[in-house]
Amino acid sequence: MFKTTIFTLAIMAPLVSACGASYAPPTQRLADAQSAERSAAELGANSVPNAQLSMKLAQEQIAQAQKAMKDGDNLRADSLLIRAKADAELAIAQAREKGAKIEGEKAVDDSAAQKATNVGQGATK
Amino acid sequence: MNTLRNLGLLCAFTTAAGLVGCAANIPPQDLVTARSNYERASKGPAQELDPADVHAAREQLDVAEAAFAKDGDTQATRDQAYVAARKAEFAEVRARTLQANQTKDRVVAGMHADERKAVALTSAELAQTKGQLATQGVVLQAQAATLATEKQRREEAEKRAAQAAADLAKFATVKQETRGMVITLSGSVLFASAKWDLLPAAQMKLNEVAAALTKEDPTSKMVVEGHTDSQGAASYNQDLSQHRAQVVRDYLVTRGIASDRITAQGFGPTRSIADNASPEGRANNRRVEIVVTPAATP
Repeated sequence: MFKTTIFTLAIMAPLVSACGASYAPPTQRLADAQSAERSAAELGANSVPNAQLSMKLAQEQIAQAQKAMKDGDNLRADSLLIRAKADAELAIAQAREKGAKIEGEKAVDDSAAQKATNVGQGATK
Repeated sequence: MNTLRNLGLLCAFTTAAGLVGCAANIPPQDLVTARSNYERASKGPAQELDPADVHAAREQLDVAEAAFAKDGDTQATRDQAYVAARKAEFAEVRARTLQANQTKDRVVAGMHADERKAVALTSAELAQTKGQLATQGVVLQAQAATLATEKQRREEAEKRAAQAAADLAKFATVKQETRGMVITLSGSVLFASAKWDLLPAAQMKLNEVAAALTKEDPTSKMVVEGHTDSQGAASYNQDLSQHRAQVVRDYLVTRGIASDRITAQGFGPTRSIADNASPEGRANNRRVEIVVTPAATP
C-alpha cells in the first residue's frame, strides 16, 4: 500500500509540477498586440521616425512571443505581448502627433495666405 | 595554514555576498528609464492636458517599483518597468498632440474671425458705395430736373420770339439779308409828313419791335436807318432821315435795348427800294429799317 502511494506520487509529481508551471496560451493578448500594431501601420507609423522605432520593437516582441508560445513558454510570451502592445500603442500616439502637427502647420500657412489675400483685396486695414 | 584558508573562504564569501547585495539594489535600466520618463511627463504639459494617462503611467511605475522592492532586478520587474516607461512617454506624446490640435483650432478660429471681419468690412464698404450711388442718383435727378426746366424755359422763349416775330409781321416786313436781319417799318406808320415826332400809334408798334429785339442775341448790334423819297431837297431829306432814325433809336433804348448796341443813321433818298415816280413807290421808299447784325465773330 505504502509502496503504491510512493509510486503514484512519483508518477503524479511531474504532472502536478507541469500543471503548476503551465499557463494558458495568451491568444487574446496576442490578438490585442497585433491589432494595435496594425492600427499603427494604418496611421502611417512607418513614415514617422520615432513611431517607426516603436513599431519595430512591437513587431520584434510579437515575433518573440509567438516563438515562446511555440516553445511552450506562455508566461514569457504573455510578458512580451504586454510590452509589444505598449510599444504599438505608443506608435499609434506618435503617428497621430505627427498628423496633428502637420495639420497645425497647414492651418498656420492657410492663415498667412488668407491674411495676404485679405490685405491684397483691401478687405482688412 | 588553516587560518589562512579560512580567511580566504571568508573573503570569497564576503565578495559573493557583496555582489549579490549590489545586484539586488541596483535598479535595472528599464526602471531608470521609466522613472525619468514619468518624472518628465508629470512635470510637463501632460500633467495638465492628459492627467489620466499620466496617472496610468504612475500606477504602472508603482507596480514596477513594488516588484523591484520585493524581488529585485527580475525579468518581471524589467517587464513592468518597460511598460511603465512606454506609458509615461505615451502621455507626453498625447499631450503634444493635444497641444498641436489646440494650436490648429485657435488658428482656424482666428481665420474664421478674420473672414467674418473681412466680410463685415466689405459689406460696410458696399453699403457706403450704395449710399454714394444713391446720393449721386439724387444729384443726377436734380440736374435732370434743372435741364428739363431750362429746356422748357428755352422753348417758351422761342415761342415768345416766334410770337413777337409774327406780331411784328403784321405791320413790318422782316427779311434775312446778307447784312443781317432787316426789319422795315413804313414811314407813314411812324411819322406825320415832314415831321420826326413819333405818332402815338407808332409807340405801340415800336414797343412790339423792342420786345422782339430784346429776344435777339444780346451780343448782336443794331443800326436804325432812316430813308426818304426823292422829293424835296436832298440835304433836307438827309436831315429828316437822320432825325427820324435818331428818334426811333432813342425810343428803342427807352424800351430796354442797351444803348451801346444800337446806333442811328440817316440816308436821305440815297437808298431807294422802289420807283420814286409813282406815289406807291415813294411811299415804299419812306421807311425806317432796323438792321440786326450778329456780333462780329472774334
